[in-house]
Amino acid sequence: MPNNYIPVFDPASAHTEAISHLFITVLVVCAVILLIVIGMVAIGLLRFRQRPGSVDPPPHFGNRQLELLWTIGPTLIVIWLFILTARGMRESDPIPPPNLEPDLVIIGHQFWWEVRYPKAGVITANEIHLPTGTKWLVRMESADVIHDFWMPELARKIQLIPGQTNHLWLDAKKPGRFLGNCVEYCGVEHAWMLAVVVMESPEDFAAWLRGQQKPAPSPAMDSTRNGLQVFTAQTCVNCHAIRGVSTPAAGAAPDLTHVADRSILGAGALANSATNLFRWLKNPQAIKPGCLMPNLKLTDAQAGALTEYLEDLQ
Amino acid sequence: MSATVSTTSAMATPEAEEKSRGLYGWVATVDHKRIGILYLLTTLFFFMVGGVEALLMRIQLARPNNNFISPDAFGQLFTMHGTTMIFLVVMPTLIGLANYLVPLMIGARDMAFPRLNAFGYWMLPFGGLLLHYSLLTGGAPAVGWFSYAPLSETAYASTSGTDYWGLALLVIGIGSVAASINLIATILTLRAPGLTIRRLPLFVWMVFINSFLVILALPFLNAAIVMLFIDRHLGAHFFMPSHGGSAVLWQHFFWAFGHPEVYIMVLPAFGIISEIVPVFARRPIFGYEFVAGSTVAIALLSFGVWAHHMFAVGLGHPIDMFFSATSLLIAVPTGIKVFAWSATLWGGSIRLTTAMLFAMAFLIQFTIGGLSGVTFAVVPIDWQVTGTYYLVAHFHYVLFGGTFFAVFAAVYYWFPKMSGRMLSEKLGQLNFWTAVIGFNTTFFVQHFLGLMGMPRRVYTYADLPGWGWLNLISTLGAFLLGFSVLLLLCNIIISLRRGRPAGDNPWQAWTLEWAATSPPPEQNFDCVPPINSRRPLWDLAHPENPDPIVGGPQSIDGFVLEKNRVGMVTFLVSESCFFLMLILAWLFYNSRAMTGPSPASTLDAHKTGLFTLCLLASSLTIWLAERQLRAGRPGWFRGLLGLTILLGAVFIVGQGREYFRLYHQGIVVSSNLFTTTFFTLTGFHGLHVCVGLVLLLILLGLSLAGDFKQGRLEAVKSIGLYWHFVDIVWIVVFSVIYLKLLL
Amino acid sequence: MTTSHFLISAWSWNPWVIAFCAAALFMGFARFRPQTAWLLLGTAVFFLTLCSPVNALANGYLFSAHMLQHLLLLLIVPLLILLGLSGGAVPQGFENGRWRWANRILRRPVAAWLMGVGGMWLWHAPTLCNAAVSNVWVHRLQTASLLVMGLAFWWPIIGPWTRQRLVPLAGMIYLFTACLGCTILGIIITFSPVEVCSIYLHPMDRLGILPLIQGNWGLTPAKDQQLGGLLMWVPACLIYFFGILGLLVRWYREPGQEAVGCAAARPPLMEKSYGL
Repeated sequence: MPNNYIPVFDPASAHTEAISHLFITVLVVCAVILLIVIGMVAIGLLRFRQRPGSVDPPPHFGNRQLELLWTIGPTLIVIWLFILTARGMRESDPIPPPNLEPDLVIIGHQFWWEVRYPKAGVITANEIHLPTGTKWLVRMESADVIHDFWMPELARKIQLIPGQTNHLWLDAKKPGRFLGNCVEYCGVEHAWMLAVVVMESPEDFAAWLRGQQKPAPSPAMDSTRNGLQVFTAQTCVNCHAIRGVSTPAAGAAPDLTHVADRSILGAGALANSATNLFRWLKNPQAIKPGCLMPNLKLTDAQAGALTEYLEDLQ
Repeated sequence: MSATVSTTSAMATPEAEEKSRGLYGWVATVDHKRIGILYLLTTLFFFMVGGVEALLMRIQLARPNNNFISPDAFGQLFTMHGTTMIFLVVMPTLIGLANYLVPLMIGARDMAFPRLNAFGYWMLPFGGLLLHYSLLTGGAPAVGWFSYAPLSETAYASTSGTDYWGLALLVIGIGSVAASINLIATILTLRAPGLTIRRLPLFVWMVFINSFLVILALPFLNAAIVMLFIDRHLGAHFFMPSHGGSAVLWQHFFWAFGHPEVYIMVLPAFGIISEIVPVFARRPIFGYEFVAGSTVAIALLSFGVWAHHMFAVGLGHPIDMFFSATSLLIAVPTGIKVFAWSATLWGGSIRLTTAMLFAMAFLIQFTIGGLSGVTFAVVPIDWQVTGTYYLVAHFHYVLFGGTFFAVFAAVYYWFPKMSGRMLSEKLGQLNFWTAVIGFNTTFFVQHFLGLMGMPRRVYTYADLPGWGWLNLISTLGAFLLGFSVLLLLCNIIISLRRGRPAGDNPWQAWTLEWAATSPPPEQNFDCVPPINSRRPLWDLAHPENPDPIVGGPQSIDGFVLEKNRVGMVTFLVSESCFFLMLILAWLFYNSRAMTGPSPASTLDAHKTGLFTLCLLASSLTIWLAERQLRAGRPGWFRGLLGLTILLGAVFIVGQGREYFRLYHQGIVVSSNLFTTTFFTLTGFHGLHVCVGLVLLLILLGLSLAGDFKQGRLEAVKSIGLYWHFVDIVWIVVFSVIYLKLLL
Repeated sequence: MTTSHFLISAWSWNPWVIAFCAAALFMGFARFRPQTAWLLLGTAVFFLTLCSPVNALANGYLFSAHMLQHLLLLLIVPLLILLGLSGGAVPQGFENGRWRWANRILRRPVAAWLMGVGGMWLWHAPTLCNAAVSNVWVHRLQTASLLVMGLAFWWPIIGPWTRQRLVPLAGMIYLFTACLGCTILGIIITFSPVEVCSIYLHPMDRLGILPLIQGNWGLTPAKDQQLGGLLMWVPACLIYFFGILGLLVRWYREPGQEAVGCAAARPPLMEKSYGL
């Protein structure tokens, strides 16, 4: 769960802090202008109500100086806002130097986020871990339609457009768990395309990354071995990668090598727990209708075994 | 008490009476007043439909993890709600009001082209029918009202809903452009004597400027939809990045239409408010020239701000900054208007009728929406709030709290003129308060939801703190708002039968429509009062204290225009915009390297050059034909006209053979982006030539049948203009494609 | 080299420019009127365009600087010069004397429009654009032609004697269509991957400022072309936009023309529609 009520005004990085301050400044300006207008209207309505028996007042057609004032005044305000805008853009979205290798690659799919750490050789999905105190360059791509990645506390939003790459800086000053959404309608399950970013201390992050780099643990018990059998016998292997077990075409479905580590399932449709995973495996279409995982019509036993195996993949 | 001048007598011939009675009279009407009312009734119906769609969505969103409506149905609902409200409600309502009021306000008998007017209206129910027919053929469109590619391509939107969306918009767009051409021609050529352009009522002026926006912006949408259709049905890849197309180009093309569109939806509302506030404050508008001038500024700037809808696309900081500058600048003329309306109240004698109440609510609500719009122009803020409920709140504040409240005000203000009866003030006050409370309850909280992270177009959401109860409040507000609309409906129905008779000028207003009876007779006026200022009825009622004469006595505008010419030129300007988009698409795609057929390998510039010469010669022959007709030599006229048709036909045959040759080599529309853009651009040009040939054949036929009356010369000149236009477009197309100019 | 160092040192002293400015200043001060302030401003801008660091940047480094020069030479300097000359008496010989031919050309708005918009398009043809940077005579031709075309373009709008100006409504259409013309060009330059002026892709670093430009300022050739296209488009259109607003103000201030007889007034009742 997020730590705060209004994420846009609870920035966790220097970039979103710049935006938040700018936003508050602009809101104050807007509030003042609104109050002036409300004042003009309300006071006008009260003072100049029609009194009984009154005739039409003598016509008055305007006041050139006043009109110039409310032309030039707002123009100056607008020019000032533009200067703030230019500065705010530089502060909140520094342009990455050309040809810099990204530290993180996010590929948008209908309806999940593929997450790759190219320098560490790690592939995961929907949940991103990053160390605090350093800026990471993220490259954004899309495998199908236009998506939009948004972590309100951490960074500006940016579209993931097929055929184009975009870049984003992600960093945080303090550890925390942050929730974000896809913000560009990408199809029927756009609502459940959540992402989680976990900002942790560099040591915790290094430990996590090391864990992710290992291949999937082999099943130790009978129940989990049964689960692995279900995984390979049913068509799961055709889409889902588990390092050490299956390597299907890239990006067909979320990588499940360390799925038990994640806090959400189905890109936010469910919290990650054994009960929820069982429900999902029994019928993903009942939970997230229109997602691209078909209902494999597993029996309770098969689903149970598979759940045990997958929940073992730390 | 000012004496209203009733300058009309409701006399009509018995035959006319008979024809205009009953349903047939309404269906076959070309009278602008009836057409205006038809528009309003149709849009009222679609408003209900769109409103129900909204309420269904709000029920689904009232609590987290709700399953009242399936995600697929929700996708269709928000797409249909947006499309319906924009194209079937707001735009046509404003056009309908303009249709009814403009001829009355300028002292004309009807619009310049009454039959075109009727045609434009019938495109509306036809388009609405097309859009909703999709429900029977596999589902309504579910890709959002702006239908971003590649989501709208067949790979991701396989039902025909998207196709019906495109078709409906093309049809409705044709109707809108027809109405706008009509309005421009009417306002330029049919004003009563003394009504110079500088004396125009602000509603007419704003409708006039708005009509230019319509004719220039809608072709951008038409071009984009046409290209989407070619992708969807002919296998092309304009917007498919996987085959070299560009998804971002759709966004550019769409928003180049989309942004002027939102001003199209608001400028006539500004006009409504500019009429109503002065009348109920009993003062002329504060600063007419600044208000009129700021309208021009908004219209010009509105074409230069579209990429502020694309700040999240990653176009690069320089581009973002430029569009931010223009978007911030466009706030200034809008602000000028708001201050002018507010200042009009001061020193007045204000009557808070229902119409005035709605106008005051407009002022505040539109300002709120406009200011939240300014926050979007500040790019980093946009980077946080675009695509969220903050954006939904913004556009509902300007479009509903703004435009639609202005429409409500217009209903209460002009209903007496249209029906002869007053709407109930008591019901009106109830209508107003439920509307204001309902509207603000629904949409104000949505600003917070956006700031809290709620994206738009989601069918449900997680149970995050505050999201549930804020959404619930919004839903309750929506139902109150729906109730207020029902109240308006009741008010209209009851008042049609039992409303107090209105008389000619119940509000003691000052523009010309109030000089006619309520409702006006078919010919509107028997004679028009003298016009020397912007408030002719004030001058009539206050001969001891008339308004200052605007522009000097016996003033005329420095030009005299002929309406067929104006209509045709306006139409051609609109078509140029369409071709401009296709040419830009050509330049965009052909400036990149690509595999497959190329201009060098497939095109034969010399042969096409020969056919080009034929087409250019045909321009010469039709010009000569016009001169012969004017000199009174019909034989020569027919001969030259026939020659023109022949030359045009040679061109078409030549092009057809070129297409045939390419087809035989296996080079089709879908081969690569060169062939796609080539066939699209030359194909649409060829279509325009064919239409021109049909027009010329009709002229030839009429001439041979001896049916050439005096006024036909104007028709010939207009069609001649069209033909020259087609030639000029070909010169540009030929240079760009065959001579590789600009590449 | 730092930015401030560059701004201080990169001035050039072009003798032609200085001579021209001196002549303009002399003419201005010889018959000093309030409008002369515009003329002085125009001269100053002309000087800055061709002698300041902007010129150094345009000389082979930055396409956008080159665009800025175009903009100033075609739109701003002529505008200021004409404003400076406004209200003056018609020079002898212009109407009926030896300079009749010049008057006949300047009087036609279509020709003036074509020169103004055409000039912009012409100098963006890749061959011509490259030639202007590499060959000094073509460059001088470009500068001179831009000034002349700019003067011709603004003549129907703010030409010195009002009788030859377009009526405000026609002037607004004139400027609006010019805005369209430069918008299309600006869009093409900003968004197309074509290198309009390929000579800027590989600048010769005569002044040693390439690291400053591409490093500190972040202006890679791609960004530079984008910026150039945007400069061509947005500021130019804003100039036309404010021109249109200026014409609107002029129009509303006009006392209005007198009706010539009653033939112009058409009673609406006698309208019959033959057309659509």
